[in-house]
Amino acid sequence: MSDEIILEMKQIEMQFPAVKALDKVDFTLRRGEVHSLLGENGAGKSTLIKCLTGVNHKTGGQIILEGQEISPTNPQHAMELGISTVFQEINLCPNLTVAENIFIGRQPMKHGQINWKEINRRADELMARFHLDIDVTRPLSMFSTAIQQMVSIARAVDVQAKILILDEPTSSLDDNEVKLLFDVMRELKASGMGIIFITHFLDQIYEISDRMTILRNGHLVGAYGINELTKVELVTEMIGKDIDVIFNLKRAEVGEKDPNMLEADHIGVPGKVEDISLDIKKGELLGFAGLLGSGRTETAEMLFGAEKISKGEIRLNGQKVNFRQPHDAIMKKVAFCPEDRKRDGIIGDLSIRENIALAVQARRGFMRPMSRQEQDELADKYIKALGIKTPSAEKKIAELSGGNQQKVILARWMATQPDVLILDEPTRGIDVGAKAEIQRLMLEMCGDGVSVVFISSELDEIIRCSNRIVIMRDGKKVAEVDGATCTQQDILNIIAEGAKAAEEVEA
Amino acid sequence: MENSNRKRQSLFTRLMNPKYVMVYATIAIFLIIYIFGAIQYGDKGFTSLRTLVISMFTENAYYGISAVGMTMVLITGGIDLSVGAVSSLTGMIIAYGTARLGIHPLVCLLFAFVIGIGLGAIMGAGIQFLNVPPFIMTLTGMFLTRGCCSLISRESIEIQSDLIDALANFKIYIMWWNSDGEWAKIKPVCYINFNLILFIIMIIVGTILLQKTRFGRNVYAVGGNEQSAKLMGLPVARTKILVYAFNGFCSVLAGFAYTIYVKSGWNLALSGGELEVITCAVIGGTLMTGGVGYMVGTLFGVLLKSAIPALITFNGNLLSWWGKIATGALLLLFIFIQRIVVLYSARKKQK
Repeated sequence: MSDEIILEMKQIEMQFPAVKALDKVDFTLRRGEVHSLLGENGAGKSTLIKCLTGVNHKTGGQIILEGQEISPTNPQHAMELGISTVFQEINLCPNLTVAENIFIGRQPMKHGQINWKEINRRADELMARFHLDIDVTRPLSMFSTAIQQMVSIARAVDVQAKILILDEPTSSLDDNEVKLLFDVMRELKASGMGIIFITHFLDQIYEISDRMTILRNGHLVGAYGINELTKVELVTEMIGKDIDVIFNLKRAEVGEKDPNMLEADHIGVPGKVEDISLDIKKGELLGFAGLLGSGRTETAEMLFGAEKISKGEIRLNGQKVNFRQPHDAIMKKVAFCPEDRKRDGIIGDLSIRENIALAVQARRGFMRPMSRQEQDELADKYIKALGIKTPSAEKKIAELSGGNQQKVILARWMATQPDVLILDEPTRGIDVGAKAEIQRLMLEMCGDGVSVVFISSELDEIIRCSNRIVIMRDGKKVAEVDGATCTQQDILNIIAEGAKAAEEVEA
Repeated sequence: MENSNRKRQSLFTRLMNPKYVMVYATIAIFLIIYIFGAIQYGDKGFTSLRTLVISMFTENAYYGISAVGMTMVLITGGIDLSVGAVSSLTGMIIAYGTARLGIHPLVCLLFAFVIGIGLGAIMGAGIQFLNVPPFIMTLTGMFLTRGCCSLISRESIEIQSDLIDALANFKIYIMWWNSDGEWAKIKPVCYINFNLILFIIMIIVGTILLQKTRFGRNVYAVGGNEQSAKLMGLPVARTKILVYAFNGFCSVLAGFAYTIYVKSGWNLALSGGELEVITCAVIGGTLMTGGVGYMVGTLFGVLLKSAIPALITFNGNLLSWWGKIATGALLLLFIFIQRIVVLYSARKKQK
């Protein structure tokens, strides 16, 4: 790594109609370094990359590449300037051969015709550089994801790239494949290329990076050398400290003798989450902690039947159940509030009343429609009970604020009188007051004997509400701690250090 | 690396590339049907060169010409339902122009090209920029064009043109040294006509376009994954518009060939022809989901599709509707094969 700066982004601002995604962010990349860009989802990593690659157009600031100011208009333009990107999803054509995927759009020509021999020869050379011995004339679809990933890097590198952006390239690779990728990255680095590396695997950051830049909520937290921050400090910086609302919440009371409501025994989905075992007592609140992408949501989806488990078993009230689809789970009184309420939860054009009645109706089946009166009663009851701020139950849910939308979804599932309620990030993106109210509602439900699974990125609220906390990392359950006695620091340590620290806490 | 280079140099390994599997299926099924015909009706002349060249090739040449363009459209993952109507309109323009207005047929043809290519480009642009599904866009094109045919005339117009006559009568007889040591026409008489030559030329043009030009490769890329193609910096919009324009060109050329064949223009000619054309391409191994297809396959697709009516003619006892049933069964078989190939390769990748 030299000290020569290859790319400088100064005071970058990105203003979308509703939100400011980036606020005066600085970023510098040196020649021959691997620079990790860190932050939780929504922190502005992707937006920064999109400004650099011309997908979005910055609304303020400067981008300086090798001393010259640039403003890429589209990915193609960025590529011509020497900025290549490899995305998490493979952006190649599965029907074309490996060689063609590398050279399409810039094929060597001979007598006005495509020179296939030259294409295949050069593709062979490139693959040899990547230590891959494959037949480049076979269609891309025949090869594993790892090889496809290599091919897309080969394509990105072969266009005389000065800067290579790798956006979560390792999320679908196994350990050996990651090692292969890192070897390639080291070689590219040695050849003087600047690499921007985005991943949520902390170990990988420490293994390959030279420096890192941390973003949070569209702001720059700081840029550090890899040895300047420990993993714990890094996680703390990424998550940030939220305004701690002092709210008098009492944890649900659960005794040793209370029966297990839901048990999961070594359940898993290959490639996503492995071997999760957990149990929830009646009236208990079980927290799920871990970074985004650690497998929290996938685990919840398995419990609800939205993700089909390929091994292990789930027991409800001691009886084995087989949820093939969410409807099966709903029939067994399991309810699930998804993470992205805009996408998976609310139906924007329907009224509050209809949104609340939805799940109850789904369980009754369309043969027994709810009368209008029943629906009105149901809606009024929950609007009052949850304090949903609306002039009438007939207002479209899309017109409510985030916090109130969340309450409507909560009402929808409460109305089905579930035994188990799974809430995935129910407090994301809503203001502090509404957050506290949602927490209070969860705990009230526990008091009524409902078992609640509570997933959140905000450790303080998990600690405040949970009886026990399951800590996830890289698709595995790494620890289970007691909510009353653990501290935020304990959990951060476990997230940062993984299984090793987990043993210490248990011991 | 030397090792894999040597591997590739072997013709056998090159031909065994799984990307050709659909074409092989087409050729294999054609051979099965042909051999069946040879065994059953060989004595009646099913195996004669005349049956192969005239019954199977020549009489379907206009479908074949249109199928060249259709293959390309299907490779991009689109479809074009307007081709039959455009071919019919070409016939109407030539017939009305020559018979009623006294314009030279080539001028009429030129005019038809302008309309066909223009309509194709407009439909392509609509599909690309207005995001209209190809099915809907080209259905609109089909109704518009068919309506225009009837606008010109609702009756069949006979064509009297020296040029059209000359092209219709143009025949290259296939000769051989007969047993008397004389250079003579083979028996039964067999010849190659203008339409067949046009078809073969278009297959060659199509192959060169698809395999040897950047445009052709972009066609495959768009069909493989349009989003990726865009992110790889390929000119997706231009490619799609050009493909539909080229298909318009092929439809007009097919209409010209058909006009030579029937020597008249009729507003309802080639009704449903677009479906015949799509069938040729699909049983030729072109994937309707896009990304896969070869002109050689389409060539055999035309042969395969016409082998069935030929068989029925030779049988003599079957009603011609059996041809439709057999074609339907064949199409179904091919769609099955396509799904199996796709599923199999998906499973193989997982391992």
